[in-house]
Amino acid sequence: MGKVIDVKIYVTACMLLFIAFCPNSFAAGPNLHGFLEADYGVKLSDDNTKRDSFNLLEQRLQLKTTYLFEGENYLASKDGIINFKGDFTIDEYFSGRRDLELRELNLSLTPLDIMDVKLGCQVLTWGTGDYLFINDLFPKDYTSFFIGRDDEYLKKPSNAVKTSFYPAFSNIDLVVIPYFTPNTIAQGDRLSFFDSFQASIAGTSSDRNLAEPAHQLSNNEYALRLYNSLGSNELAFYFFHGFDKSPRSYKDEASRQLYYQRLDVYGFSLRGPVFSGIGNVEFGYYNSREDSSGSNRLIENSMLKVMSGYTKDLGNDLKAGFQCLYEQKLNYANYINNLLPQDYFWDEQRYLLTQRITKLLRNQTIMLSLFNFYSPSDKDGYVRPSASYDINDQWKITCGANLPWGQDDITEFGQMKKNKNIFVRTRYSF
Amino acid sequence: MKNSAWLLIWAVTILILNVQTILAQELTVDKIVEKANLVAYYAAGDGKSDVKMVITDSQARQRTREFQILRLNIEKGGEQKFYVYFKSPADVAKMVFMVWKHIRVDDDRWLYLPALDLVRRIAASDKRSSFIGSHFVYEDVSGRGVSEDSHELVDASGNHYKIKNIPKQTKGVEFAYYFVWVDKASFIPTKAEYYNAQDKLIRTIEALEVIDIQGNPTVIKSIAKDLERGGQTTMEFLNIEYDVGLTEDIFAERYLRRAPVKWVK
Repeated sequence: MGKVIDVKIYVTACMLLFIAFCPNSFAAGPNLHGFLEADYGVKLSDDNTKRDSFNLLEQRLQLKTTYLFEGENYLASKDGIINFKGDFTIDEYFSGRRDLELRELNLSLTPLDIMDVKLGCQVLTWGTGDYLFINDLFPKDYTSFFIGRDDEYLKKPSNAVKTSFYPAFSNIDLVVIPYFTPNTIAQGDRLSFFDSFQASIAGTSSDRNLAEPAHQLSNNEYALRLYNSLGSNELAFYFFHGFDKSPRSYKDEASRQLYYQRLDVYGFSLRGPVFSGIGNVEFGYYNSREDSSGSNRLIENSMLKVMSGYTKDLGNDLKAGFQCLYEQKLNYANYINNLLPQDYFWDEQRYLLTQRITKLLRNQTIMLSLFNFYSPSDKDGYVRPSASYDINDQWKITCGANLPWGQDDITEFGQMKKNKNIFVRTRYSF
Repeated sequence: MKNSAWLLIWAVTILILNVQTILAQELTVDKIVEKANLVAYYAAGDGKSDVKMVITDSQARQRTREFQILRLNIEKGGEQKFYVYFKSPADVAKMVFMVWKHIRVDDDRWLYLPALDLVRRIAASDKRSSFIGSHFVYEDVSGRGVSEDSHELVDASGNHYKIKNIPKQTKGVEFAYYFVWVDKASFIPTKAEYYNAQDKLIRTIEALEVIDIQGNPTVIKSIAKDLERGGQTTMEFLNIEYDVGLTEDIFAERYLRRAPVKWVK
């Protein structure tokens, strides 16, 4: 928590400095938008988390505004904009806990014709997958995803500096993240998961702890993307240097401590029209730098990840999409040879298929959607049906379900199988 | 002598005028359609406008969409690029829809979702689907390829050409044929009526107000009506400007993620 406040102070201070050095700063009157939302998610299965009957019950007020600099000053001449978006939440799951979740507080400007900069708290996304990420190593909130919050909350903001260059030959994004933000994952309090220390699916009994990388220059994260259009196709190359955003490696087994091991990723993607639809392929090589040989049983091995997808518009506001993801653990023999007898172990290969069907009705005011994850190798999956209705320009109601399932307790979706819920969200936008 | 000279000039003038009238009458239907297409969708080299859509469903419930639209002609009568920046309602504000319109192949379409900072590619094979939930379809907004229909001039009396259009490909098209009325003076299409195979009128589009902007006849208000299911959408164009100097670089991912301040506010 202290860290978050530090970051907020740092970002705000940077902005104030910027503004202070611009005489005659003048901004257009702020425009305020946002929504008020009430969410409720009923649990369909029993586990040992904090509450038996629900895993989502909260109210949320989102406010967003932009502040466009005008007049004769540096920021105005460089199209300076301050973006703010924050969610005030009251979370009844934690007995009415109040919070401000900052989603955006950044300064965006164009210092040169061929360069943009965005400095501060921001949501970052790239890559070609639909709910699948290979080269997007930015933080995600899987808790929000599994309890039925809006898709927006799957992406967590990063405190970062994003610099984009647009020379004639290519487009380049360079993101520097000085403050590590991990994924939000099941911890046992709200969502149960497989805890290897408990040797079972665990709820509040889970007592493992997670060690984040320390704040120091050598722990800065860097993400780079080079992309070009080739006619109607988009080709991109990616590089990431940082940490795994989920704690997959063990720091100290005796004290039940996991950590976010160092990770470099090299990848590319290609997306464009094929057979009157949109096709995409994406590849990533994950280099687990602390265990390149794969012989340390406590540290995640290097991996290869490949996916391809296809979406087609079938007419009458009906769309269908399919994806296939293949993951392969590298140096698998070293991994297996170094395991201890009591260790849980993972397969060398994993296949994951996804399917999305979306149908819009009544002038696109009703949306029916079904998203399905299915892994034939892990024998698990996750079904996400949802229906939403725009009652008018202000009111929207969404209901849906989160139905993870699996034969085993240790697989990605299998371990989430006791978190099934159905949810309803009511939103008033303004 | 003087008189006969005047007479000759007079005679020649009348002859020329007559020839012109004959030429005008003999404008082929394809020429009319081509000219109308240029006037309706390719005015000037580029253009920008604010747009307000009021969508009324069959139960008289209304929804409003406001957006800014930037258009650049890459080639007159050919490729174009569109940038659509949404302003309201609040839940779609700052969303950007971008189209690279092609003639013989499917358009390229992108949608930028600001909440996720996500640039999504959209399949564009279905051009007859509703544009943002309104009663206008994509083709009404960006134009239907003139070679997609065969055209027949059914009436040239009065101030309009009435043209019957029959789609060459019936797959994915909800009508069997449609009539378009093209104003003889400005070549602005002022009305379209869509019929199904049972000759029943199912849909109309009408230009409600046409004015001259920088020498370009421009529809500033139009209405689309769904006669099958009921409901209608009015589309109003405000603050229209032509030849503002848009450049092709605006129509790229850079400006999806960061709206061009110079053009979009």
